[in-house]
Amino acid sequence: MANTSITGLTDEQAKEFHGIFMQSMSAYFGLVVFAHVLAWLYRPWL
Amino acid sequence: MNNPNMYKIWQIFDPKRTLVAIALFQIILGLMIHFILLGSKDFNWVGDGIPLVAKPQAEKVAALSPLPASRNMN
Repeated sequence: MANTSITGLTDEQAKEFHGIFMQSMSAYFGLVVFAHVLAWLYRPWL
Repeated sequence: MNNPNMYKIWQIFDPKRTLVAIALFQIILGLMIHFILLGSKDFNWVGDGIPLVAKPQAEKVAALSPLPASRNMN
């Protein structure tokens, strides 16, 4: 009953990956927002 | 987004393939946006003359004399 998902990930593994994924995504989004702030200061587009 | 069961997405979409797909998508999207901006008139940051572009110096060079004015035969 441990490996019945489509990808073969257990609940535990899926949770672990999800944690890393969300953390990385948040960090990347932060970087993106910062880059956009700098780009706006350099040359506003609206 | 705050659904506590969101992690189950990784039991549907393969994490490895998903990461590769996201990376490829982001790279292509980024390159595309950069090239579109470079191709625009307003947002081209390379050919906009900032900082002051070095213009062709032909006139200035022609005005230069290899000798001081006092020694110039012409």
